[in-house]
Formats: sequence, structure tokens, C-alpha cells
Amino acid sequence: MSTLELRGVTKRYKKETVVDNVSITVANGETLVLFGPSGAGKTVLLRLIAGVVEPEEGQILIDNQNMTDVEAEHRGLGMAFQNFALFPHMSAFDNIASPLTVGKRSLEEIKTGVDKVAKLLKIDHVLDHAPRELSNGQKQRTSLARALAGSPPLLLLDDPLRNVDAKLRFEMRLELPLLLDAQGATVIYVTQDYKEAMALGQSIAVLAEGRIEQIGTPEQIYLTPKTLEIARLFGDPVINFYDVVGQRDETGVFVELSQQRLLLDESKAKCVDTPSVLGIRPESIKFVPQNSSNSIPITIEAETPLNEKIVTLAKTEGGREMLISRPSGTAGPATGKAFVKIDESALLLFDQVSGKNFVDPAQLNTEREFAA
Amino acid sequence: MEHQSKLETVLRGAALLLVVVFFMFPIFWIFLMSLQTNETILRVPPSINFEPTLRNYKALITGKLETSAASLEINFLQNLWNSVFLSVASVSLALLLGVPAAYAFARHKFKGSEDIAFTLLSFRFAPPLLVLLPLSLYFQKMGLANTYLGLIWVYQLICLPLILWIVRGYFEDISPDIEYAYRVAGHSWFSTFRKIALPLAGPGIAAAGLLAFIFAWNNFIFALVLASADKQPVTVGALAFITASGIQYGQIAAAIVMSIAPTLALALYAQKYLVEGLSLGAVKG
Amino acid sequence: MNDIHLDIQQVDKIYGTAASAVHAVKGLSMVVRRGEIASLLGSSGCGKTSTLRMIAGFEGVSKGTIKLAGRTLNDLHPVKRNVAMAFEGYSLYPPLTISDNIAFALKATKHGAKEIAEKVSAMAEMLEISDILDRYPSSVSGGQQQRASLGRALVRDADLHLLDEPMGQLEPQLRALLRGRIKHYIKENGVTAILVTHDQAEANALSDRIAVMEGGYLQQFDSPEKLKDQPNNLYTGTFVGEPPMNTFSAKIERNDTLVRFILDQGVSLSYNISDFSPNVIDAVLALQHVVVGVRPYAIKRHADGMRATVVANHWLGDQTHIAATLAGHSVILVEHDRATDKVGDDIYINLDPDNIHVFDRDSGAAVSHGADIAR
Repeated sequence: MSTLELRGVTKRYKKETVVDNVSITVANGETLVLFGPSGAGKTVLLRLIAGVVEPEEGQILIDNQNMTDVEAEHRGLGMAFQNFALFPHMSAFDNIASPLTVGKRSLEEIKTGVDKVAKLLKIDHVLDHAPRELSNGQKQRTSLARALAGSPPLLLLDDPLRNVDAKLRFEMRLELPLLLDAQGATVIYVTQDYKEAMALGQSIAVLAEGRIEQIGTPEQIYLTPKTLEIARLFGDPVINFYDVVGQRDETGVFVELSQQRLLLDESKAKCVDTPSVLGIRPESIKFVPQNSSNSIPITIEAETPLNEKIVTLAKTEGGREMLISRPSGTAGPATGKAFVKIDESALLLFDQVSGKNFVDPAQLNTEREFAA
Repeated sequence: MEHQSKLETVLRGAALLLVVVFFMFPIFWIFLMSLQTNETILRVPPSINFEPTLRNYKALITGKLETSAASLEINFLQNLWNSVFLSVASVSLALLLGVPAAYAFARHKFKGSEDIAFTLLSFRFAPPLLVLLPLSLYFQKMGLANTYLGLIWVYQLICLPLILWIVRGYFEDISPDIEYAYRVAGHSWFSTFRKIALPLAGPGIAAAGLLAFIFAWNNFIFALVLASADKQPVTVGALAFITASGIQYGQIAAAIVMSIAPTLALALYAQKYLVEGLSLGAVKG
Repeated sequence: MNDIHLDIQQVDKIYGTAASAVHAVKGLSMVVRRGEIASLLGSSGCGKTSTLRMIAGFEGVSKGTIKLAGRTLNDLHPVKRNVAMAFEGYSLYPPLTISDNIAFALKATKHGAKEIAEKVSAMAEMLEISDILDRYPSSVSGGQQQRASLGRALVRDADLHLLDEPMGQLEPQLRALLRGRIKHYIKENGVTAILVTHDQAEANALSDRIAVMEGGYLQQFDSPEKLKDQPNNLYTGTFVGEPPMNTFSAKIERNDTLVRFILDQGVSLSYNISDFSPNVIDAVLALQHVVVGVRPYAIKRHADGMRATVVANHWLGDQTHIAATLAGHSVILVEHDRATDKVGDDIYINLDPDNIHVFDRDSGAAVSHGADIAR
């Protein structure tokens, strides 16, 4: 296990700043996910930590030792790549053995080390194959095995599940945390799949344009995203956004959607008289059997099932689109007119100009923590 | 569209044959010439009816050239050896210098690196005569004129840019991630260069080496100006067959056959290796 | 609505000559109705792309017939088939703007310039590419090109729309919305469409019926619900559904009141015989070895259930995926509430007899679905 600390790390290519003043601390044995859309600087940041790319500014500390100017081979870490980066001219065995061939290990020790990690990843039967003879899944496992072989205290995983099919990705998503736990390593995991981020990360750092936008637990990111963009990136189907202006009367703070009042708690009071964006997660909209005082009438456009969910695209009377999601197997209308109710406790409100959440996630960190 | 009928197969074969004949005919004709005497070569119209003779080859190997007018001494085998030595030594030196340089240009983009690389390439398209006159003067002064060392040095103008530019492309095609992976596994940059970059660029290095070898072998002008008879390669040596008593077509043909034989053999041998290496492909993992 | 529109009968596709033949499609028969959205779903090499290319006319039909709207397509030139296609590789015309690309086929028809402009702008709005209409394909992103290519196909009045992996390059945030809009558009305009994809989420979302293909054979052609609830065989059962179906190989025993599926390590699933219809019991008992399949959502917690140990608990915002080991088998559960179980905790689960699928282990054929016999 290792701790990792980045202090004001900045990387520029020509005049473009791809990593902008990033500071992160990762505790011993923690898994930190670097999440962001492509081009956000995740991969460059990972390479900076690995030492194969040099930062223009800032420091990289591993176990409180300044590693900024230390060559990659002396940082003692393991890394897996999105494109697997297997050595095409070496067998799977030699690929996995590559971190073990440094120093004075006997052939016997190398073989034991490779066999152990190969067994763990269930590729012990293909060790004599060249990379081109491996299936995609086996390549991916070989590349993970190579990263793990030297038992590095710090593991860098660059979107390792990106290039495998959905089924395998799902399997690995469940399997990987166990593997990483067994290693006891501190892990930096890069991904642009929000499900992977939430499943694997003890904390998630959301990157956009080289800057860290938010760091938090999966709960914090999903329930109190700092910006509209983060809310958009987490969740499938995507969150619904509506331009609104907050109002206040004797009943409290509210916004109006389709002539229906949605009451807000006081923490969102800043939206009053301010152009705002209302965010409603598709799963917090529920179908109700008939029109009632607080329901919204909608017209269903299409029903599109999605992995154990049923997603419905509907339009409000004002012609605004609304995505609604409900668990598979639960009843709901498939066509025509229907009524929905919105869970007011799950509403998000953002400043229309800055895109910032009116509720500061930092203030809620302790309150919103789950029992888990 | 995807069905291939018999007729198509036949037509395709015929077309291929035509192309092969078109390209191979000159070599084939020269080979025939090398087995003839001047008289049969110069018949009009030309014919492939003749009595094959090995006297042209014999003359080249013994170094005694019998013409109708006189007997001449020609040191063709020395020329052949010069060609082999000059080409091999030049290409070796160019590989030794060019491959690491190509790697540096491919992997470390520094300020002006592109300009330096381009300047090196520009040596290829400057007319050789431009540099020959000053060079021969300098070489005279430095004592490099008519030495192997001087020629090998000048041959770098031909070999180095070729190797640098071809090999650089191959290095650039290797995903940096593959090298990063080896570095992170605990290996120094030099060992990464040796164990990863070199083997993966192997086919490219071989191709560049082969090409440089052919260019060096075929060079004429540098050797003509900077070397005298005992250091001259076959390209220049062949001039000796244009004698006072006429042009010795038979011997020229034999000389050509003997001088293309090594390059041809090398190319055929390397081809197998090149194809094998390229099919290793999957450099991008 | 129910008339036969696309009629594929006993179609084979064989590539190459007799010596090195590749049999890509084997005896494919399927009928698509007018106004229906059908998908060809399968992994690469399953025959779906060959089928699509035969319908479009890019490949000859080796055997069998393909009819569209009553016309036999086999020897009809692609241009005369009246089929619109969205290509996986976009295939936009580089010298034309996005707007001209979309309008291209319309200009050859009798539509007036104003009508064409309206159609293009409505299509662009639906696909969220209004802002790039005046740009050229090379200057827009892959996802935008893909949407333009899709728009160019959808805007046409054709007998059939072929959509080849039409949404593979789209940013994930746009997908749910566009799937809804496209499905609505297709239904609204009475378009008949065939979607070719390896992404089952896309097939599920858009299709009325999905043709699952594997090894050149059509495995099953049914509605998404039916594929999930009544898979014909083990391949379809495990291929369709994400997270995938849980499977256990088991031996069967019975006594007077109970039927038992005996898994490894002494664990068994016991059900009352009365839970099943008699012919299910007969069919199941006729087999020695079976594979029992249970969909993740059908595994429920139950205080008296079997004990399983949690190995992973992933909360994804609106779903929880739990992986557990049950007597050495791994089991996946999907729940819609946040579950608080930690790794190493024990949970007690029940496999509801109404939701278990029994397959013949040797042939893979489905024997029963819940209480009912497989057809």
C-alpha cells in the first residue's frame, strides 16, 4: 500500500493546458476513480503519476516522498492500459513476467509469481500464447495480470474495461474490486463509464478540461453533483433538465413545472428569482394511476426498455421532453396520456449562468452519508 | 461480385503474367546477353538462337579481357569486393547512427527536432554534384581521397537520411503505451529501446537497411569522383568495358548479372523475413 | 399492420468457392410486418451483417428468396430496391454539407424545395444536429456524422429502412433521449425498419421483435419480453439480458411432493411438484442433467431462503447490483433500492419457481419456463 499526493500538478502541450493545477490525496489502500469525458485529461494525469510524462509544474508524492523527478522504472508501480499495450513479440507468460525480470529473481521465482497471478485471473491455460492468439477478454486479463505481477503498492488502471464487450465488462466490474482488495494496493482507476466509477471507486474525482470539478464518494457525486454537467454525466437514462425560476410565497420555496408546483427545501433558496435549471432524475418520476392535485399530465412518445429498467420518453403539455425510468416488471402505461408525480426530495437545482448546484456538496458531506 | 469464376481466375493470372514479363524481361535479356559473344549480341534482328558461352564470366573472374584488338587487364573482382565492402560498411554505420537517432526523433519531440530531421532528409534531394567539388578538395587536403573511410563517410549522405526517415516512421507506429508499460514494469529507457522498440521496429529497420544497401550499391557519382581504380565499386568499374576497340556488351551483361546477384539474393532472403515481421503486426496491441 | 412486408425464406449465404466456403447464413426464414421495427442481434460473425447486405443488395443471395412489399429482391439492383440505409461507417458525401447530405435522396423525388427544407430541419432538430447543418462531414465529430447518416436514411420515404449500428458512436448521455425520439418517429411515420446491432440495450430499446443470430442460424425471433421470459435455448437465455442470466448445472431428483435440482456441494433447489404443471415435471424428469437459469431480477431475498455470501455490492444510483456466492456458484441480483450489505455479509435468497428456466444441458434447448413447458 502507498499513499499518493498530487500538489498543483500542471501539464501543458504547446500552449494547451491538459492538466490544470490538480491536487489530490489518496489514502493507503483506497481506490480513487478519475472520471470524465474523453479529453478531460484523465489519461495524461495517470501518465504523470506513472512518470512517463513530465509535469510542467507541481509535485507528485508517493508515500510522502517527492517522486516528481524520479524515472518511471523507479516509482514501483503497476499500470494497465486501455489498449492493453501487450508486447506483441512476447508470449503472455513473458508479458506478465516483465515486472519480475528486474532485479535478481531466479527463474523459479519468476515462474511462481506469474503462475500465481495468472491463476487469479484465470489465464493460466494460455500463458504460452502470443498476444495475437488471445481473445479480447484474455488480452485484457493478461494486461491486468502484468500490472499486478510485481505486487506494486500503487496500481494505475487506465480504462482497462473499455475495449471488452458488455458481458465481460459486467463480469469484471464485479470481480475487479475483490482482486484489488486481495492485492491491498492503492488504486487509481480511470474510466468514462459512470457505472464503473460508482461500482469501483471509494471516491471519485470528476475531471473536466484538465481540472478537478468535484471529489467525493459515489453517493455525494450522484446525489449532490457540484455542477449541471456532472449531473448529466452520472445516470442512464440522462437526467432531465428544465429552465425554471425559483419562487417563494408563504408555503416556502418552489419552482413550477407544467403548472405544477414543486416544493423545495430551504437549502435551495438561492434559486428564488434567479434563472435556474431544475434537474429531475428519470427514476424520481413515478407514474400515478389518475390525475391528482400534484400530478403532471404527460403524453407518452415511446417506451424503450434498458437493462432491467423501462425508460419512457414523454412530453409535458408544454411540449417539454421528459425521460421516466422504472424497474422492469413494474406496471406502467406504454402509450397515450398518463400522469406522473415527481419526488420533490430528489430535485436538483443549478444556477443557469454558472451551472453550479445551489446546494454546496461540501456542506452535505456528513449529512447525506448512507448507513453503509 | 464475390464469386470468382474460372474465366476470372484465368484472366487474372494472364494479367499478372503480363506484368511480370514486362518487368523481368530486361533482366532476362541481359542474362541471355551475358552468355553470348559480341557478334551474336549485335545481330540484326536479335535472336535467341545462339551457342551459350561462359567466356564473358571467365574473363571477369580471371581479370583478362581478350578483345579483337588487344588483351586488357580488368580487376572486376576487386570492384565487386569494393562494392560489397563499401555498401555493407556504409549501411552498418548508417544503422548504428541512424536507428538511435530515428528513435530520438520519433519519441522526443524537442524544439527544432523537426527542422533537424528535415535538414538531414534534404541531403537526399540536393544534387550530388553540388557537394562533390568542395568535398573532393577537402578530401584531398584531409587525406581522405581514395580511401574506404572517405567513401563510407560520403555514402552516409545516401544511407543515413533513408534509414532515419523510414525507421522513424516505424518507431512512431509503435504505441507509446507499449513502451510505457515496459518502463513502468521497472526497466530503464535503454532496455526498453533494446527489448521493445528495436524488435518491434525490426521489419522496418530491415527494410530501410535493404533499401539503403541498394542505393549504396547503385551509387556511381561519388565513387567516380572520389575513388581511383582500386577502390572503385562495380558501377564505376563497368566503365572499363567501354574500350578503345568497342563496347564489350557481353562482359557488361555478365558484370551486371554478377553485380545484381548479391542484391537480388539479399532482397529475396529479406523478403521472407520482412513479410514474417510485418505479419507480427498487431504492434498496436 | 399485420401484412407481410419483408419476407425472407430459406436464405443461405455462402462466401468463396466450394473448396474454402464460409457459410455465413444458414436457412434463414423470417417475416417482418409493415410498420414493425425488427433487430438482427448477435456478436460479430453471427451472420447479421451478411443478412443486412443481402437485403440491401450489396451481396448476392446464395439460396432462398427475399421479398419486399411483394417484389422479389434477389436479382434486383440495389438502387431499385427502395431501401434506405444508415451505414455504420457513416458514408456521408464529403463535398456536401450535412444539410445537403440529409436532403440528398429527397432531391431526386417530387418533393418541393420548401418541403425538403422543412423535413431536413425537423430531422436535424430531432437528432440534435441543427447547429452543424451548414458544416461539412470532415469538420464534425464521429457522433455527429453518425447522426447525420441516420437522418439521411430516416428522412427518406422507402419501403424499408436498414440501420447498421446506427448509434454506436453517440455519447452515452444522448442515447436514451434519441432512442425515444427515433422510436417515436418510426412509429409515427409507419416506417418499417431493420436494425443491425451487437448492442442488446439498443435492440431492446428500439425493437418490436429481435432476431437473435449465432453461428449463421436464427436462434429466436421474438419480442424483447419474450426473449427474456421464454428463451428458446441456453444461448439466447444467457446472451439476452444485462446483467446476464444466472445459470447452475444441476441433477434432478424427486419424491412424492418435491422436485429437487441438486447443485454442487450439496446445495439443492427444492420445489413443490404442485408448483409446476404435470407435463413440465415429466419433461424435466426425463433429463439427467439440466441447466437451471434465473434472471437477476427474479432472485429475491427471503428469510427462509438459501444462504449466500456477498462478494460485491455496487450501487449505481438507481439500481444495486449484488454479486454473491451460493455454494461456490456466483449469483447476481439486481435490486432497485439501495442495498446496504457489505462484502462478506450473508444474505438469504429465494429462486421463485415462477421464474426459473430449465434447459437440457446437452442440447441447450429450453424445457420449461417457470411453471410452463417451453414450446
